[in-house]
This record gives sequence, structure tokens and C-alpha cells, in this order.
Amino acid sequence: MTGFEELEALAGEAGRRLHGLAEEFVVLARGVEREMLKLARGEASVVQSWNSIEFGVYVARRDGRLLFTELSTSSPGDAVESVARLVERLEPSPLYAPLPRATGESYSLVDPAIARHLSGEERLDLAHDIELELLGDVAGMASLSRTRLVLLNSHGERLRGDKTAFTGYLRVFRGGRSGQWSWAHTGYDGGRPARRAAQAARELAEECQGLPAERVEPGRYRVLLSPMVAGNLVDELVGMANGASILFGMSFIRPDTIGERVFSEALTIVDAPRDASLPGYSLFDDEGVATRDKAVVRRGVLETVLHNSKTAKAMGAETTGNAGLLMPRPFSIVVEPGDLGSDELLEALGNGVYVTNNWYTRFQSYPEGAFSTVTRDAVFIVRGGRPVACTGRIRIADRLGELFSRVEAAGREAWRLEWWEIPVPSLVPHLLVGEAGITTA
Amino acid sequence: MDGLDVERLLGLALDLAGSMGASYAEARYHALHGHQAGLMDGRVFAAGYEETVGLAVRVIVDGGLGFSATNRLTREGVEEAVRRAVAGARLASGMLRRPVRMAPGRLGRAKYSVSERRPLESLGLEEKLGMLRERVGAAGLEGLGIEIRRLTVFYQELRERKVLATMNGGYIESYVPRVLVGYNITASSGGSVRNRLGMLGWSGGLEGLDEEDLTGSLEDDARSLAVALTRAGRIEPGRMDVVLSPELTGIAVHESIGHPSEADRVLGREAAQAGLSYWSELELGDRLGSEHVTVVDDPTVPGSFGFYLYDDEAVPARPRFLLLEGRVREMLHNRETGAVYGVGSNGAARARDYKSEPIVRMANTFVQPGDHSLEELVEGVRSGVYIRKYMEWNIDDYRWAARYVGLEAYRIRNGRLEEPVRDVVLEITSPEFWGSIDAVGRDLRLYPGFCGKGEPMQAIPVTMGGPSIRLRGVMVR
Repeated sequence: MTGFEELEALAGEAGRRLHGLAEEFVVLARGVEREMLKLARGEASVVQSWNSIEFGVYVARRDGRLLFTELSTSSPGDAVESVARLVERLEPSPLYAPLPRATGESYSLVDPAIARHLSGEERLDLAHDIELELLGDVAGMASLSRTRLVLLNSHGERLRGDKTAFTGYLRVFRGGRSGQWSWAHTGYDGGRPARRAAQAARELAEECQGLPAERVEPGRYRVLLSPMVAGNLVDELVGMANGASILFGMSFIRPDTIGERVFSEALTIVDAPRDASLPGYSLFDDEGVATRDKAVVRRGVLETVLHNSKTAKAMGAETTGNAGLLMPRPFSIVVEPGDLGSDELLEALGNGVYVTNNWYTRFQSYPEGAFSTVTRDAVFIVRGGRPVACTGRIRIADRLGELFSRVEAAGREAWRLEWWEIPVPSLVPHLLVGEAGITTA
Repeated sequence: MDGLDVERLLGLALDLAGSMGASYAEARYHALHGHQAGLMDGRVFAAGYEETVGLAVRVIVDGGLGFSATNRLTREGVEEAVRRAVAGARLASGMLRRPVRMAPGRLGRAKYSVSERRPLESLGLEEKLGMLRERVGAAGLEGLGIEIRRLTVFYQELRERKVLATMNGGYIESYVPRVLVGYNITASSGGSVRNRLGMLGWSGGLEGLDEEDLTGSLEDDARSLAVALTRAGRIEPGRMDVVLSPELTGIAVHESIGHPSEADRVLGREAAQAGLSYWSELELGDRLGSEHVTVVDDPTVPGSFGFYLYDDEAVPARPRFLLLEGRVREMLHNRETGAVYGVGSNGAARARDYKSEPIVRMANTFVQPGDHSLEELVEGVRSGVYIRKYMEWNIDDYRWAARYVGLEAYRIRNGRLEEPVRDVVLEITSPEFWGSIDAVGRDLRLYPGFCGKGEPMQAIPVTMGGPSIRLRGVMVR
């Protein structure tokens, strides 16, 4: 059990050792308890569990010398002190900015059911609650976690965070076809998020199984992106609307276009650290600054580039409360839903391709946003607003900015998602894209 | 080791697991230490240190597999980790049709370490940064007709110490230091902007900074960007011959031979993550590539980024011939998949850190060299393209169809390299790729990378490579 008492004591010891060695510091002590059921072929391939203490330490002098340390150890004191002594031998960093005050608030968002499960007090029956026996040939994982966080800094400020998460994804196979879906919630809710994801995956696999196979020829098509696909591409977009990505030349976003309409009016993307339903929830960032929900894109207008104090200073902006230990980061991403139901989305697609999952998004040129991504699982060929065939693995190959400028509509229903290809917890609807490049081997 | 009686803690874990009914148990102390730093246009923008130290326990109870990890390196911490692993295994055993078992086979009892002529611990961070900056500063990136908008360079070292003990007698102590230098060059010309990511990596000490030519790599990549931005035109799509450099051969062999040869993927254990494998439709001895193609995965290549001598189940490492003269020869196995196939492990179990379960992984995967020079490969092409570097690549989750997009490429006509072409797309199935090779070069080269797999995701150090190769009559767009 990783209690606050222990975290406070370890963080406090690290802080004491840093006093006198560093003019500015932040110590983040994180206690993580996690359990994961991993599935393959409808069986449990392994059950994994973790109980660890992690530290992130930022150390700086006011002349600009700075250093970051990541420690996964239960005895950080000596390492913290020796690292702090390194800082004086460095040169001032062009990214230095004075450490901001910790304006955030402590928080607790703990689902008692998850907490009792992880403490062993009252175990949940994941397999039963997911209704695993109904899924047949299924692979995936289900994870329960609790993260306690203590932040203290050289201003003498101290914050606490405590939250739980229930996340996972399932891939259901039916006769050589498959469907995959994920979930990400701060609460267990009787396993309902996992059951909904399982149902979505199963329905996709079975619908695809019931349709004939047909090949898609390379070309440009109207495309309906499922929330799983839209979530991945939005994650890539938000990753580029980031001060560090722009500074490092790894983004097609131009900060001089803030305030300009650069995407479709149908697109609104919010970084939402205060959405209590999503596991990215936090009331303070890694510099202790208060988080706030803010639109990255509002009705197509680029509104915010995410910053910590350092990238903000380098780019003449203000911190947006998105500090990671080193780089800015989004907490949770919310894409504003539209007003089309699932049948209406297919009707609006008319003739085109409905892509339900993807992976391996890679860029030919980050500054131009040229990319491709590979579909997996069910891909439907739609004619006259109805799925008429299922096709094999294809690629979307386009420019990310241009693709998001061709979004015509968003679906009414949004899904809370997180998996390999959507690392930031996201609430995403379907997105209908007027035209996208499709390639095949 | 670090003042801890690691051997005693590992023994405690194995004894307790046995007393709790485990038919198999392994305990691994796994420590990673090292400096990190980033340069932006020659200035240090951040420096840091990573320390990841903890213990992993894996057990089989009633056929179920349980894994747990802790960084509480006390008697109580280890006992709790064992109890959690055993509880997890019992839970898994209730959801199984086929019990997990470990293949029998010889396990190692050994200590080994990679020697460092200039040990990583012998220099301070500021001295390492000085060495790095000297090499970056020496790179001549001017006069190429392009504007270098940003040059970022990342330095990362990881000194990996492991002590592994298994219930059935395996005991391995190892020390492998690794260094990685990565960079991104962003350049523009006219209205176009491009970037190039590069990486150098090795196992060993700081002597690698002298042996690996960072300055030369930066200069060569800047020249490639200049070619792409200022001189390259579009290629007319069509079926033609293609010559690929070792860099392209490396990514192709990693993605379309190495990954599909992983037996856990073939068995579906990674189906919802890294996906499945077209090798599930193949038998040993089936023809997949032309007779010119032999593919090896060899963890024992000295100085390589993917080097190890014993895997994380204490099985001795050895070269694995995945393809021999175009035919499927063997898959990559750990002890679990080796038991399923009845062939035993071939030493491919690897874990990223103490928080990771050992799963089937590649090490150094490459196409064996032949006897052609690059000039000879090109001379044999009447109409085709030579792709020297790529940026974008991906492959589907069945490992059937891959896409590689050239950053620097040249049209070949009548056996001669001619004008540069940009964004050349090779989108091709694995059997077509490997079956169309008619000649293999002798210019073997390995490229470092981090390979992702598992849940939670484990990025492990590998290399991928080979010589230049020639493909006949494939579709190019």
C-alpha cells in the first residue's frame, strides 16, 4: 500500500536535501498501484500488478541552469542530492523560466470500488463484469489503477492528488473479421464502460462478418472516422499544438496562425483536465500551476498552443497549465460532439469508407503534417448510406491539417477512450471527412 | 549491488513462491541508471538523470501466469510482490483452457558484462555534453542551399544491471551499458519544410562517440534534406526495379520478417496490441523469400544496441535463422511459446525494466550480406529507382503489407543513378517484397532503434539492418 504518509515523507526528505543546493525545485512523488488482466484467444494470458513509487524532480538556479530527474525507486534521497549537485556544472538553458507559484488545488477523485479492489479489501470480478464468456475469441486488457501524487516546491507549497482509473480495450474476432474498442473512465461503474466497449467491438466484428469482402482501389474517398480513429488523429494534432513540438521543429502548427480559422468549423477540440470522467483529470500541472479546460481548436479556429512556463517564455506566451516534468502535455482531450446519430452519419457519408480502427500513424514530414496510418479491424464500404461490404487493411495517407479542414460533421455520441494509439484519455465522437487519400498495397 | 543483498531477496522470492504453490517462478532485479540531455541549436536546453530500480516476479500457479513488480526492495516489499504475483496467477488459471508451462532446456548460471573502454561513469555529464557539442559543432551544415531551421540533439545513456534467478536453477548477473544519440534536423527551402530524424546507438562506453560518426551523419542527413527540398521531382508511378539501401533493408526486415516471426504474436497473445502474423499461415520450410534472402536475429553481435548473452528467462542467446535462403527456418521463442511448439526457447525473452514482463522480442535483425557492390546492383537496372533514406513507414497488424516513403531517392536509367525524386512510395506485401529480391549487396550495416510491444508498452533497444538489396518489378508510386 502506497499511502500519502509515506509519499509525503519521501518527498519531504527529497525537498530537505534540495534546500541549499537548488534555488528552485519541484518534487513530484507518485505512488502507483495497478492491476491488469490481459486476454488473448478468450483466455487470461497473464495477470500483472504493480506497486511502485516514482519521483520526478526539477532543479534550477535562477541564472537558468536546470535539470530534470526521473527516479523509480523507493529510496530517492541520495540520487536527488547527487543530481542537484550537477546543476551548477551546467550552462544556463535557453528554456529557463522562473518557477511559477503553485496555484493549483489538491484533489481527490477516488472510486471506492477500485480502491477496495486494489487494497484487497473487496475484489471486483472483472471477467464477470465484462461478460467475458459472451465474447468468445477476444483479446485485450482491462486495467484498474490508483495514483497518489504529492507535489512540493521551493516556494514551500504542497499539493496532493488522488485518483483512480478503469481503462482497457477489447478486440473481438468473428470468422476472420474483427472489431476493437476501448474505454477510459475514472470510475468502475459496475464494469459498464468495458461492457459497452465489448458490445461495440462485437457488433463491428459481426457486422463485418456478415458482409461480402470487397477491395478498395487507391484514390480519394469520403471517409467516416470512428471515435477510435478520430481519437488517434486528434491526439496527433494536439501533440503538434504543443510549445515543445513547435520549438523543436516537429509540428506543422504555426503559432502565428493562433486566432485564425485553419481547420473545419465542425471541429472543436478541448484540453480538459477538469473533466472528472476522464483519467487525465488533474487540478494542477507538474509545475503546480492550476489547470483549466481550454479549447485548442474552437470551430476551426486555432485558439491555444499548450505551454508550460518554459515553452511559454521561449515563445512569448503564458503557461496554459499544461506542464509535464519537462515538456507540455495535454491531460484529457474532448472533441465536441455534433448532432448526427449513427444512421445519419452513414447517410451523410453516402458513398465512401467507414474506418473503425487504426494504428501505426507515421509522418513523412512533421513540419508539413504529411502522414499515413493503417486501418485494422472492420473497414466498411458504404454505398447509398449503407454498409455493403467489408474490406481489408488499407491506409489513410494525407496531410493532417488538410484532413481536419475537411471535417464535415461530428457524431452525436462521444466515447471515452484510451489505448496504444490514443495515449491521452479522450472523449471523441465520429468525424465525417469530406475527402481523404486511401492507399493499398 | 547498491548495498542491497540482491541474491538474498531473489532467493526469498523464489522460496516464498514455491511455498505458495508456484510450479515455476523467476525473480529479476533490474536497474537502469543514466544521464540524459538535449541540445537545441548547440545549446543545452535540458539535462537530466534517470534511475529505475526494482524487482519483478513472475510465477505459474495451476497453469496461470502472474507477474508483479515493486521497487520496495525490502523483505516486506518482496513478499508482497510474490503474494500479488501468485494471486494474479491463480486468477488467470480460472480463465484458461490451455495451461501455461515453460519449455525444458538448459539454463545459464553466469555473470557477464559489456566492457567500456571509456566507462560512462568515468565522465561527468558536463564532460559528456562537451564531447557531444564538439561533434555537433563540427558538422558543416551550411552552403547546401537550404535553411537549417532547427537542430535538436538528444543524448541518452542507460547502464543496465540485472540479476535474474529462476526456480529451476537459472542465475544470471549482467551489466550492459548503452548509449543513444538521436537528432532532428528541420530545414526549409522556398515554401517547403522537411525534417529528418536520425539515431546512433551502441552497447559499450563513450568510445562509441568516436567510433560512430555523429558529425558525418548530421552532414549526410542535411545533404539529403537539401536534395529533397531543392532538386527532387516526382516519379511517374509504375512497376519497376528498386534498389534499397541498408537503412531501408533494415526497417523492412524488422517489420515484415522479424515481427511476424515472434511466436507469441503467431499464437495470438499480442492480438489486441501489436497484432497478429501472416506467419501463422506458414510452416517451417515454406518459401517466403527468394533464395538470395537469409535473415538472422542475433543478440550476440558485439557492440550492438540489442546485445545480450542470456535472455530474461536465463536461456543462452544464440543467432536465430528466421529465413534461410528464402525458406522459413525458425521463429523467435521464449520458454512459454517454445513449450507450445515443442521446440524449446531460443533465448528471445526480454523485458524493458523491472516493471515489464519478459516477452518474445527481437535483438539485432538483419539480412545476411551477399557479394554485390551498390554499383553492381544499380548497373543491373534498366529502369528503376534507388531509395537511400526514408521517413514515413508503417505496416499493418498482420504484418502483410508495408509502406515505405523515400526521403532521398534517385531514378535509375540504364544502370546509372540519375535525377533525385521525392516521396517515392513503396507499398508492398511481405511475400512480394522478399520474393522479388534477385541480388544482395555486401555493404552490411545495422541501425539502432527502440522497438515497441507489450502491455504496458515496452520500448526495447534493438538494431535492424542488412546490405543494399535489389527488387525486380515492383509497384512504385
